[in-house]
Amino acid sequence: MRKYVEFARVQMQVHAAYSAWFWANTFSILLRMLVIYFFWKAVYSSRTEIEGLPFEGMITYIIIAMFLQMFVSGVGQELAHTIKDGNVAIELMRPYNLITRLVAMDLGDKVIHFVRGALPLSILAFIFMDITLPTSWQSGLLFFISAFMGIWIGTFFDLLIAILAFWTINLWGLQVMKEAVISFFSGALVPLILFPEWFQTISLFLPFQAMVYVPVAIYTGILSGTEAWLALGSQVFWAVSLFVLLRVLWSIAIKKVTIFGG
Amino acid sequence: MIVVKNLEKHYKIAKRDPGLRGAIKSLFHRKFETKKAVKKINMHINAGEMVGYIGANGAGKSTTIKMLTGILTPTSGEVKVNGIIPYENRQQNASHIGAVFGQRTQLFWDIPVRESYELLKHIYEIPQAQYEETLKEFVDVLHLEPLLGIPVRQLSLGQKMRCELAAAFLHRPKVVYLDEPTIGLDVAVKVRIRAFIKQMNARYGTTVLLTTHDMQDIEEICQRIIIIDDGSVIYDGSIQDIKSQFGDKRVIHFELEDAADSFVLPEEIRALTEVLPTSDEDPHLVSLSFSNKHISGAEVIHTMMNHYSVADLTIADAKIETIVEEIYGRGMKKEVQHEEIR
Repeated sequence: MRKYVEFARVQMQVHAAYSAWFWANTFSILLRMLVIYFFWKAVYSSRTEIEGLPFEGMITYIIIAMFLQMFVSGVGQELAHTIKDGNVAIELMRPYNLITRLVAMDLGDKVIHFVRGALPLSILAFIFMDITLPTSWQSGLLFFISAFMGIWIGTFFDLLIAILAFWTINLWGLQVMKEAVISFFSGALVPLILFPEWFQTISLFLPFQAMVYVPVAIYTGILSGTEAWLALGSQVFWAVSLFVLLRVLWSIAIKKVTIFGG
Repeated sequence: MIVVKNLEKHYKIAKRDPGLRGAIKSLFHRKFETKKAVKKINMHINAGEMVGYIGANGAGKSTTIKMLTGILTPTSGEVKVNGIIPYENRQQNASHIGAVFGQRTQLFWDIPVRESYELLKHIYEIPQAQYEETLKEFVDVLHLEPLLGIPVRQLSLGQKMRCELAAAFLHRPKVVYLDEPTIGLDVAVKVRIRAFIKQMNARYGTTVLLTTHDMQDIEEICQRIIIIDDGSVIYDGSIQDIKSQFGDKRVIHFELEDAADSFVLPEEIRALTEVLPTSDEDPHLVSLSFSNKHISGAEVIHTMMNHYSVADLTIADAKIETIVEEIYGRGMKKEVQHEEIR
C-alpha cells in the first residue's frame, strides 16, 4: 500500500514542477469561463428561463460541469504510451500492479490539480459570476459523493480505452472520439435536459452521464429526492462494472503479452 | 539459482491485413505463422555465477531473459529462478531480481535520480538502514553524487546507465539480468560499470546473467559463457575452454593485386590451411584460416608472397571475439567473418 501512496506523492511533486504549464492552463480556464459567462448572458438576455432553468442555475451548472470534466479523464494516455513503446514489459517485472500504480498516480495528479487549479478558480467564479451554492447541505454532500463516483467512472473508462492499445495500432483516433463522446453524452457542455427526449433516454443507459451530469444535476437541484438517489445508484453500478471490466480486460491483455509476446 | 529445462518458446505471428478493416477483421479471424524463438534450451546457473549469454541478433537471447523474468510464458519446458516459477509468480519473482535493459530506462523520467531511488525503496520495501548503506556504497563506486539531484531526462547516456545500474542492484537482488548494459558507452564508463558489477558479485554473491555484443565485457566479467544461435545453445562452458579449443585459430586476409577468382592455394601450405569463403564485395580478397600449432603465420605469409603479389594483408586476432564469431558463423553455416586488427 505504501508504495502506491508514494507514487501519488511523487506525481504531485512532478506536477508542482511544471509551473509554466500550470499558469498557461489556469489562464486558459479563466478565458473559457469568461467566454461561457458572456455567451449565456447573451442567451438569457431575451428570456428568463430555459427548460425551467434560470440564468443562475444554468451558469452554475455549466461552470461546475466544466471543472468536473477536467477530472473525469485519467492516465490512459500514459498507459497507452507504455504499451506502445513496449515499456509495459519492464513494468511487468516490478513488484506492483501497474493499474493500481497508475490509478494512484492519477489520484496524486488530481489532488494537486484540485488544490492548485480548480479550487481557487471556482472560488473566483463564486465571487464574480453569480454561481449559487447547492440547494441544501444534503444535496451538497450528495454532490461530493456523486462527483467522486463520477471521477472514478471517468478514470476507469479512460484506462479501459487505453488497454485497447494492446490490440489496435493507433489509439489516437479512438481517444479523440472518446473525448468527443464524453463531452457530449456526459452533459459536460450543457445539461442533458436541453436535449430531445430520445437523446436523454439513450444517455440514461450509457456510463457517460454518470461522469458529469449526475453530480452537477444533484448540485443544481435538477435531480433531487428519489431521482438523485436512483442516479447515485446507477453511478455505483457503473463504477463497479467498469472496475470489474477493467481488471478482466487487463488480465486478458497481460496473458496476451506474456503468451504471445506483445 | 537458475534452472532451465527443455525450454521452448514459439511465437505466433499474426498476419494482418492493412488498415482499419484489417484491424477489425483480425479481431475475429487471424492467420498465424509460428516462429520458434527458443528451442529446447537447458542451463543450470549456480548462485553467485556470472554468466555471459551471447548470440547474434535475433538468436533468442532476449526471449530467454523475458522468460526468466516472468514477462513471457514458455510454450513448454521448465524455468525456475531461485525456486520460483517466474511466469506464475511474477510479482514474487520481481522482488528478487534486478534488471538493466540498455535500450530502455527503468528510472522515473521526470523526477531527480535521488527521488527515483526513494521510490524504488518503497517499491521493493527496502529497510531504511539497508537502503542508506547500499546507496552510499553505490554513490561512491559509481560516482553518482553530482547526479543525484538531476532529473533523469537530463542525464547523458553514460550518466543514466550508471544510475540505472545502481537502481537494478539497490534492493540487493539475488539475480540480475543485464541486457547490453554498456551499449553506446565510452571506455571509461564501461570500465567503471564492469568494476561495479564485479564488486556486487563479490560482496553480495549476486548471480549475473549478462548479454552483450561487447566481448570485452564478457572477458572481464564472466567466468562462463553460453552461446545461443537460432534458438539453441551451441556452447556452454568456461571462457578458458573455449579459448584453448579455438584459441590457436588464426585467420589472415590477403588483398591480392589480381582478381581472386583464379586463386589456387599454393602447394606448400595446402594441407595446413583452408580458404574461407569471403563476401563478394571485394574480388581481390582471399582469407586463409589455419592453426598456429601446425603452421606459423609468418610461413603462410611468406608462401603467399612468393606466389602472388599481395597488396595488403590483415591478421585477425585470437581473442574471444574472433572465436565467438567463428562459432556463430559455423552455427549459421554462413561465411565466417572476423573482427580485424591492423
